[in-house]
Amino acid sequence: MKKIAIYATILAICGGGLYSVVAAEKTAEPAAAAEAPKEPLVCFESRKGASEITQREIKPGWPNVKCSPTTGAALWYGDPFEGTVPMGKMPGLENLPEGHALVKPRSEKLNILPMCGTACHNGVGPQFNPPTLPKDKKPIPIPTMEGLVPDVKDLQHGRGRIWCLDCHHTTKRNMLVDHFGDPISFDQPQLLCGKCHGDKLRDWRDGIHGKRIGEFASNGKKRWFTCTECHNPHNVQDGVRNRGFIQLQPEPSPQLPKGMANADHEKVHPIPH
Amino acid sequence: MLTSFVSDYVRYVLKGGTKFYAWMGSLAVLIVGMLYVFYLQNTDGLIVTGMTSQIHDGLYFANLVFLVGVAAGAVTIVFPAYGYHHEGMHKVAVLGEMLAITAVTMVMMFVFAHMGRPDRLWHMIPIIGIYNFPHSMLGWDVLVLNGYLMLNAICGFYYLWCKYTGNPINRKWFIPVVWIAIVWALSIHTVTAFLISTMPARPMWFHSMMPIRFITTAFAAGPALIILIFLIIRKNTKFWVDDSAIKLLTTIVTWCLGIAIFLTLSEVVVELYARTEHANGLYYLMFGLHGLTKLVPWFWSAVVLMVGAFILFLIPRFRNDFKLLTIPCTMAFAGIWIEKGMGLIVPGFIPTPIGEVTEYYPSFVEVLLTLGIWAFGFFILTILLKGAIGILLGDIKYGGAKAVAAK
Amino acid sequence: MALNENPSADPAGAPASADPDKAVLKTTRRDFLKAGGMLSMSSLMGTAALMTQSGDAHAAVEWAEHFQKNYRLMTAEEKAEAKARLERRYSAEYGKQVTVDTTDAQPGVLMGYALNIRKCIGCRRCVHACVAENNQSRGKERAGEKIEWIQVLRMERGKFEAEKMNHGYPEGLGIQVGGNAYTPAGLVLEGQYHYNPEKVPEEDATYMPIACMQCEKPPCVKVCPVRTTYREPDGPVVIDYNWCIGCRMCMGACPYWARRLNVTNPVLPKEEMNPVTHYLGNRPRMRGVVEKCHWCLQRTRHGRYPACVEVCPVGARKFGNLLDPESEVSKILQRKNVFRLKAELNTFPKFFYFYD
Repeated sequence: MKKIAIYATILAICGGGLYSVVAAEKTAEPAAAAEAPKEPLVCFESRKGASEITQREIKPGWPNVKCSPTTGAALWYGDPFEGTVPMGKMPGLENLPEGHALVKPRSEKLNILPMCGTACHNGVGPQFNPPTLPKDKKPIPIPTMEGLVPDVKDLQHGRGRIWCLDCHHTTKRNMLVDHFGDPISFDQPQLLCGKCHGDKLRDWRDGIHGKRIGEFASNGKKRWFTCTECHNPHNVQDGVRNRGFIQLQPEPSPQLPKGMANADHEKVHPIPH
Repeated sequence: MLTSFVSDYVRYVLKGGTKFYAWMGSLAVLIVGMLYVFYLQNTDGLIVTGMTSQIHDGLYFANLVFLVGVAAGAVTIVFPAYGYHHEGMHKVAVLGEMLAITAVTMVMMFVFAHMGRPDRLWHMIPIIGIYNFPHSMLGWDVLVLNGYLMLNAICGFYYLWCKYTGNPINRKWFIPVVWIAIVWALSIHTVTAFLISTMPARPMWFHSMMPIRFITTAFAAGPALIILIFLIIRKNTKFWVDDSAIKLLTTIVTWCLGIAIFLTLSEVVVELYARTEHANGLYYLMFGLHGLTKLVPWFWSAVVLMVGAFILFLIPRFRNDFKLLTIPCTMAFAGIWIEKGMGLIVPGFIPTPIGEVTEYYPSFVEVLLTLGIWAFGFFILTILLKGAIGILLGDIKYGGAKAVAAK
Repeated sequence: MALNENPSADPAGAPASADPDKAVLKTTRRDFLKAGGMLSMSSLMGTAALMTQSGDAHAAVEWAEHFQKNYRLMTAEEKAEAKARLERRYSAEYGKQVTVDTTDAQPGVLMGYALNIRKCIGCRRCVHACVAENNQSRGKERAGEKIEWIQVLRMERGKFEAEKMNHGYPEGLGIQVGGNAYTPAGLVLEGQYHYNPEKVPEEDATYMPIACMQCEKPPCVKVCPVRTTYREPDGPVVIDYNWCIGCRMCMGACPYWARRLNVTNPVLPKEEMNPVTHYLGNRPRMRGVVEKCHWCLQRTRHGRYPACVEVCPVGARKFGNLLDPESEVSKILQRKNVFRLKAELNTFPKFFYFYD
């Protein structure tokens, strides 16, 4: 009830521009199993709640993606480049041939992103004119944003040592920010994350960290998964995780070999200690 | 002369009493059953057996390995006969060769049963196929087994042929071939041991004691079976196997069995004292792993049978009374069959090289197919021994066919 | 002829070499070979049909398959024949245009694989991606009908406990000389393959996927009596499924349990069948033969990542050309701590485990 009240307030404040989806990102639809072939099958790619892909047939017997009937995860790519755009300028990857570094635009997945740059932070908000933008990066509670993006209230990234404006641009709210205060596109989060996680950026750039699909040759055409496709930047420390990656449902276990009724013996140590 | 040999032989062999026909008939029933399950296995696939990707060699391979031993065991007759000129043995040497022929034939049948694609076995034949020689141990095994079959067939039937025609044996080439066959007998079982002991992936088998363990168990199980057969022959035919031959065989069985037990115990001590991960297979066999214990009774029954047989062999009453002698012989034969079959092959796959523990139990199809092959073995063994004995007794003789027919 | 559609030239299909000219060239050459192949095929088929006394094309094709040579000994024409024969049989069997690629190893490529053992969360997505790509048998009714090439091992983290301090070793045998204060920690190759928690990664576990290591000195290849399995010049160890006699020596010799036996006629639903196949790769197998991972030859020969690499949600799986110092695998070998499974066996795997 309380939530709804908050939502109503926000709607009023922002001029009713926002509706239905309030979370920062769309939640993945549960995988529709084969029973409903009419429903477009949408599967999530890396983690639930980030990039998704809708199944369709490219040619007879050749889908763009195969989804897991158990977990709804993408299990196989018929077309690794579907829905991608050029990555844009990335230091260290200048030698790649034109159009060989592709990313899936993150901005499409962030539902309120288009609003951010226009509805409130362009200075034409209904209640305030001009809007009172923070003067420095000192954390102050902003009820509006906390209502819009629930993650904000419990920002775990940095354990209290960083705040919104360390990553988000002060005035251009549909952009991220680099060390010089210049904007970075939401489609290139690596430029932002690399500010602190330089070692990871280096490994990512060399293909060691993170994920790339497409052609394996070092100068091949690849879709690069950006940081936020796998990590939720707001709650990186959330939940039970010991790999820097959120927990997810595993795919089914292998078939029991003939002669085995169950696999309970595996839980027993080979020799009693 | 050759045609008369064949016709005399066949005519003699086909004739027999009710007991003979009943015996052959019941074997034939099992053989028909074997053909049916073999058909099942080769249309539906090995899924009808208990084998899996984890434990992919089972009853067939176990029997194959065991029977190679039995085949090699025939040398315990041939060697004393020709090496030490043992009178009693010399008389029956050809029977040992017949047993070797039978055992190798059975091995070939188990190979067929074991294969996933028996229809493609021709891929192994040089020229029309590819023969991975000398890298593949299986290639070596095929070579030595076929060689052994041929050597025994040549030696055995040439001997019988000479007896049949009354011609003297041409010792100029016969004796060297016999000696080659004797050495060759060792090679077949050594190579079979190498077949599995050259795989570091399977620590249970990966030690240099395998060949000697194989040889000693073979020279215990083989002659044990031969003693039983000789006693049956003595009881059911006019052919008399000398006591001296049986006694010598008993001695060979006793001490080969003794050494086999000693080697097994040595292995147990070495593996279980350090108790490394590599002892998991043996540990599974002896006590079970992860609470899975299907093979444990097999192992301990093998131990009881082998040790029990050894002790009985040492008791003079059992050794000298040929009625009682059947007991330790049967025990030794059964014990080694278990130890070398289920007890050696199966735990080699448990756990898998990456630590998955699964169990194996032969299916009905597997058991029936195995029984069928054993039945087939006894079938041809009966024929071969009957023919050989007929010739040795002089019942089949060139120009003597009428005399046989008149009987 | 629609059959000739080159999957590599198809933008929607397996993506090909970046060079479109190359792809076109390949197609024409293949067409040419096929034309020749078809000609000699037809005569063979005639004989085969006569021999089987049936007009059934499927049976005739299978019959002809029985007499083909080991893939490596085939001439280009014979390869084309075998390819056309298989494409015909598969297309009829699975009700779609199936292509059987016969692309050879590409010069200058030696494939290598690296897996970040610290990153793996044990979700088994690679296992199922592999099945979706490689046409394994996937029946559910009988044990043995489902084949997976990748195994994910869940190993316990283990711990040392104060309560166990007084437990000794040997337990209950007088003076104790060793300790027992542990629940095995750091065990390798011992744990669960059939784990099935609601969510992974579990706090008390680490995971280790295991598949074929594509050894440089593969013990499986050495023991094969008919040389049906061998290492290709670009690295992967492959099997000519039509030449395999099912003796399973290779399965016994493999220290990584990478090989699987088709214990029955593979259960592969038409709609799930992947029509882009390679002769030495993912083409549908038959009963009684051994199969294994081949690093998605049908993809990698055309420059594409293997299926397991592409679906790993955490990017733990890395694949590249070991001869290219700029490839991700070469970079890992240069920069990270790597180890090979059972390195003491001198099999020299091209599959490396590494950690950050």
